[in-house]
Amino acid sequence: MHVKISQRFSSLEANAGALTNFEVLEFLRSKGAESDSTRVLAKVAPSEYKVYDYLAQTPACKQTRENISEFLERCKKYDLAKAEMLNIINVRPSSAVEIYPIIEECENRFGDAIEELVELVENVLPPPPPTQPETIAEGKEETAITKQSNEGMDVVNE
Amino acid sequence: MFYLSLIEHTFRVPPSLLSLPIDEAVKGELERLFLDKVIANLGLCVSIYDIKSIEGGFIFPSDGAATYTVVFRLIMFRPSVGEIIVAKLKESNAMGLRLSLGFFEDIYIPVHLLPNPSRFKPDPNRRDKGTWEWEYDGEPYIIDGTDEIKFRVHNVSYPPIPIEQPREAKPFAPMVITASINDDGLGCVSWWVGAEQTN
Repeated sequence: MHVKISQRFSSLEANAGALTNFEVLEFLRSKGAESDSTRVLAKVAPSEYKVYDYLAQTPACKQTRENISEFLERCKKYDLAKAEMLNIINVRPSSAVEIYPIIEECENRFGDAIEELVELVENVLPPPPPTQPETIAEGKEETAITKQSNEGMDVVNE
Repeated sequence: MFYLSLIEHTFRVPPSLLSLPIDEAVKGELERLFLDKVIANLGLCVSIYDIKSIEGGFIFPSDGAATYTVVFRLIMFRPSVGEIIVAKLKESNAMGLRLSLGFFEDIYIPVHLLPNPSRFKPDPNRRDKGTWEWEYDGEPYIIDGTDEIKFRVHNVSYPPIPIEQPREAKPFAPMVITASINDDGLGCVSWWVGAEQTN
C-alpha cells in the first residue's frame, strides 16, 4: 500500500519533462537492477524492482535509443501530439485496431494513412517479448523503406 | 506515464549519516522520504533521478543535526487522462474490475466503463467474486486473469487523507486511477489479435 506524504516542500517544476518507459528502464538498469540477480547487493529499492519487473515485460525492454529517435524523426510528418507519440512508443501497437484508441479522433485525422503508421511502428520499433502472440503475415512490408539512424539525438524530452 | 519533477526540499540529515559523503547521505535521506510514496498531483515517486544542488548545512539552535536545502529531480509515475496502459487483472467483483501494474494496484474499472453489453457471472463458491463477460456478436468474451488488459485512463484522483476511517474500510489509497475499457482495441489483449478494424 502506498503512503501519501504531506507537502512540506516546494515543487519547482511539476513537469520537468516526460520519460518513455524505455528511459525509466534504462535508468533502473544503470542502477544495477538487471545485473544483480540476488537483488540484495545493488542499491535498488524493492519498490524500484517492482517498476523494473513491470517494465521488463513491456515492449520497452527491446528498444534502443536509436530505435526511438528514428521513430520520432519519421513520424514527424503525421502531426501527432507528443503524448500520442510517447504512448505509441510505450505500447508499440502492431495493428490498426491497437493504435486506434491511442490516437484521438483517429478516423478523421488519419483515415487510411493509419496503416502506414502501423507499418512504420512495425519496422522501426522492435517487437515485444514473446509473451504476446505475434501477429501473422506482416513480414513483407519492408519495401522502399531505407533504414536511417539518427544517432546522438535526444529521446522525447522537453 | 513517467515524468520528471523538479523539487526543492529543506530537511535534516541525522548525525548517524555523518560518516558518509554528503551527496550519499542526502540521497539516502531523500530515498527514505520520497521513494514509493504518493505526492498529491505529482504522482507516485519511482526513483531519485538526480540531485541538482545541496546548500546550507546549518545547525539550528538546540538541534543536533545539519539542515540542508536540496534541489533534485524525481521520476514520478503520473498517468495522464487518455493514456493507454497495459495491466493485469487483480480482482473482479460485482462493482467492476481492479487492475494491477505490479508496482501500483489502485486501478479500478467501474461497471459503466466496461464494454457494452457486459454481464457479471458470480462465482458459485465465493459470492463477492465473479467474472465479467463482454458479449459481442453473440459470443462471450471472458475477462479472466490469464490475459493482460489494455485500458485507457479515464480519471486520476488524489483523495485527501481521511481523518477517521471506518473499521472495515479497505486501506486508504492516496492515488486512484479510474480506467475505461469501453472502446475498440481496449480490454484483453487477445481479443484484438488478428481482428480487423470494424468501422
